[in-house]
Amino acid sequence: MELYELNLHDAISGLKDKKFSASELFASCKARIDALEPNVRAFITRTDSTPQPCENPEGLLAGIPTVLKDNLCTTGIRTTAASKILGGWRPPYDATAWKYLRESGAILMGKVNMDEFAMGNTCGNSAFGPTHNPNDISRVPGGSSGGSAAAVSAGYVPFSLGSDTGGSIRQPASFCGVYGLKPTYGMVSRYGLISYGSSLDQIGPFARTVRDLQLVMSVLAQYDPMDSSCFREKNPDFTHREDVSLKGKRVALVKEFQSFTLDAPIAEAMKKTRKVLEDEGAIITEVSLPVVAKYAVACYYALAMSEAHTNLERYDGVRLGYTVTDAAGVKEMFEEVRSYGFGSEVKSRIIAGTCLTEPSRCDEYYVAATKVRTLIAQEFARAFGETDFILQPVTPSLPHKIGEEDDDAMKGYETDLYTLPVNLAGLPGLSFFTGYALGQPSLTPPNLGGEQGGNPSAQRGLPVGLQLIGPRWSDPELLNAGVILERNLGTPKIANGGID
Amino acid sequence: MKLDAHEVNEIALESRLVLTEQELDNATRYINNFLDMLDSFKELDLTNVEPFSFAEALECPLREDTVIAFTNTQGILDESRHVDGAYVKVPRIIEE
Amino acid sequence: MAELTFTPVIGIEIHIRLKTDTKIFCSCSTNPESEPNTNICPVCMGLPGSLPRLNHTVVEKGMLAGLALNCTVQPKSLFFRKSYFYPDLPKGYQISQCDLPVVANGYIEVHDAEGNLKKIRVNHLHLEEDAAAMHHSASDGRLEGASTSYVDYNRAGMPLGEIVSEPDISSSAEAVEYAMNLQRRVRYAGASDADLDKGMMRFDANVSLKCSDGRWGRKVEVKNMNSFRALERAIEFEIKRQKKILLSGGEILQETRHWNDAKGITSPSRVKEFYRKFIVEPDLPPLMVNQEWIDKVTAMMPEMPDVRANRYVNDWGLPREVAEVLTDDKALADYFEACVKAGANPVRAAHWVRTEVLRVMNERGQKIADFAMKPEVLAGLVVRVDEGKLSTTQGKEVFDYMVANDASIDDAVKALGITEGGVAGNALNDIITSVIAANPDVLEEIRSGRDKKGKKLKFLQGLVMKETKGQAKPQEVAEAIAEAVK
Repeated sequence: MELYELNLHDAISGLKDKKFSASELFASCKARIDALEPNVRAFITRTDSTPQPCENPEGLLAGIPTVLKDNLCTTGIRTTAASKILGGWRPPYDATAWKYLRESGAILMGKVNMDEFAMGNTCGNSAFGPTHNPNDISRVPGGSSGGSAAAVSAGYVPFSLGSDTGGSIRQPASFCGVYGLKPTYGMVSRYGLISYGSSLDQIGPFARTVRDLQLVMSVLAQYDPMDSSCFREKNPDFTHREDVSLKGKRVALVKEFQSFTLDAPIAEAMKKTRKVLEDEGAIITEVSLPVVAKYAVACYYALAMSEAHTNLERYDGVRLGYTVTDAAGVKEMFEEVRSYGFGSEVKSRIIAGTCLTEPSRCDEYYVAATKVRTLIAQEFARAFGETDFILQPVTPSLPHKIGEEDDDAMKGYETDLYTLPVNLAGLPGLSFFTGYALGQPSLTPPNLGGEQGGNPSAQRGLPVGLQLIGPRWSDPELLNAGVILERNLGTPKIANGGID
Repeated sequence: MKLDAHEVNEIALESRLVLTEQELDNATRYINNFLDMLDSFKELDLTNVEPFSFAEALECPLREDTVIAFTNTQGILDESRHVDGAYVKVPRIIEE
Repeated sequence: MAELTFTPVIGIEIHIRLKTDTKIFCSCSTNPESEPNTNICPVCMGLPGSLPRLNHTVVEKGMLAGLALNCTVQPKSLFFRKSYFYPDLPKGYQISQCDLPVVANGYIEVHDAEGNLKKIRVNHLHLEEDAAAMHHSASDGRLEGASTSYVDYNRAGMPLGEIVSEPDISSSAEAVEYAMNLQRRVRYAGASDADLDKGMMRFDANVSLKCSDGRWGRKVEVKNMNSFRALERAIEFEIKRQKKILLSGGEILQETRHWNDAKGITSPSRVKEFYRKFIVEPDLPPLMVNQEWIDKVTAMMPEMPDVRANRYVNDWGLPREVAEVLTDDKALADYFEACVKAGANPVRAAHWVRTEVLRVMNERGQKIADFAMKPEVLAGLVVRVDEGKLSTTQGKEVFDYMVANDASIDDAVKALGITEGGVAGNALNDIITSVIAANPDVLEEIRSGRDKKGKKLKFLQGLVMKETKGQAKPQEVAEAIAEAVK
């Protein structure tokens, strides 16, 4: 077994027990990156030419390699949000989430790809080109945190950070066959996260086991005075326990979602997971979320774009990033910088956000959306009076091929229906692995015989993930449930990134 | 169509975006689809619903009024190509 | 046809810099003397990923300013994003409380044209951040037609309170009195230094005219007034301009105009206004102010200048005009009251402060805080004059000497050769005796009864007064000489 294959917990133990050194672990991960990166293209900026110094050899994450989504600020290291407009910006400060990891001893291998300003769900909408799904490099890894998911899936690093505004952690986790947690809004500091929709954004971890998510969350979930939306009073306990149980816990399916079509492997995964839960003593129930089902998508995009267009007003070329020096006037300078610097998806969203908040339309659209959001939050609060968790898909379909995106962008948005309500209500959501889509007809090559042969990951098909949602601040319970699900459904394997 | 290309272009200019014909075409389609989608809000009675601000009662935390100078100001200024001496220089403001 | 008359309808928006050590949303210093672009950080520079953190003292100073304007503190207020593109605005939006302010519904009083007191309603005061300072300069050094602008972000994020009045003001004179009264009150409250020269107080005015024929001109917003004089001139200019248009049957455009202080005119602002897209600031939860905090801040409020002036008039019998001069500046009023507390008669102390202390301050361009003579010391001097130990003239000489030489009363008296309590009794008699002895012919003339008009007696009195250096009481001198020549 190679060191890069170790999950976070085992890597920590191995280092602690001196079975191997941090530099051996680093070298193994670096070699893995070198081997797969031509196929996967997860990185925007690599920082692993030489090992970064470990700041805290006694820390929980001492010597553990990691990567960060490139919308997390890192002092002196280029941070791009996958946009041309940030140019080669080197932030003069660290995102708090990265600071916490750094202070726990983590080693940065680099900054990874994403959709520009986290707007997208394929990781293809990047100024740096698309990232490829390590499970099938002809397919998208999902987005927007596609690079973070791909890096963990491909065995580059045992864990990574991404951000989730409407599913940007959970969807790529599911597409890449890893675990991803979108924490409760207010649990992890957003300071230093380049904002998309500020009231929806939340930073969270990717890892190859649920226990590893618990380890990372124990570092991330700390109060930070730099983020005024961060909660002070909560002290979540992410200690891993083996003796957790789902006995008597209620797990609900959403009534309104039952008539929606799912790809066969996802529908299959729902059945399988339901059975596992029942076998573990959970009670399967049903909750009704009519407003969520019908209005969440519109509500989400109205708010995300309204906030996003203001968050993107600061990119004017004056203080940082891409700029021009020969503009006739200030207005011309701003126009030249923004017209060149933003990609077309971002431009469309800026214009949409500006349009919605114009005084003539503000009440009809923006204010109405803030009220619909209240209804959605209330609906979830009521539902969690009747159930402990909600089980639902992450997406209705498995990852499509790169370049096969639907022309109708709005249809693409509707595939986010399962993820974005969680952000609207500020809930935690866990994307968990359920298995590989064996026998899925759209997959190539067809299954040639399970785990035999020399090319297991090409044979085992695409990973299938599902989502477990809990009430606000239930993140520790959600991960405990995840531990049980992982025990029953199996742990994902490292993807081969197209290397035979 | 709720907004024609001309109106969308006006909004783009407000956002300091000069669009190519292709981009304007995309944006116009995008926004009209989007506004149609938002029309569904009209089905809901929102008269007595409070606008959402934060997921639960959260008060704005208040910071002590104590100076803590940011030590890496040079790191900020180094990133601007418009620094001229002690100032950041920008072109003439033509509108005034 | 009856002649048309016009009633100006004026509302004023005043920005004041709230007095704090750090900016509104970050821990950078507010020191106005700092070198350009040194008080900057990721937050006030609007760097990607940075988030605002509200300064406790900004809220408190905003509450103090509001209470000084008779406003009510709002238990819940909110911040919004106000978007516009301009190089002085790092984030492309300003964080401002706009419509849900921390204090609201107040008033202050001014005198109308007939001299009667009139309430000007204050709609609210809201908290917001200042923009960066822009210096425009042309290659030839002129400001106009500048080819480049220089940005200093030290000012970006400085805390402001924007005070919005109702359109209750009817003249430029009322506007100026409103602004001056407001300045005095927020200074009293310790909310702002409101120093116009340092840009800590800036004015915008909304001016429209109501015509006697029922027409009502549209509202014109005039911006960029940085002094009371500019406020007055800009409003007067605008009233005249609008009147002329209405008289000629024209229409007033609803627009924003820019006051050009050098030219003394307003002209249409060509900067397109983007103050219109407000979304809730998602990075700042609602600002909650509980009753305990309101009570604490209310207790911090000092007596306001008008209340104080009334007290001086009613309790101490000061003339209204003197009371107003003394209460114009809180520190001066505090000085005066300290004198009274130290034992000086209020009316006398008021006279001394108003004439002597203010004279010296003006001569030296000092503030009362820089005035070295402690109020207790001045009180001692006032008491001595009052008790007749020093004449008024002597008192003033002593005061001047003390101020010039930083001396105590006793040292000043000694240095000036003053005999306290004056020259009287034997000392006076000795002088008289020697004066008479030196002028036997005069004595002869008086005794012979030829000095019918008393001229010679007056002559002797003058000589004696001169010898005593004016330190004898004239009545006593006259009586003593009359006795001596008998």
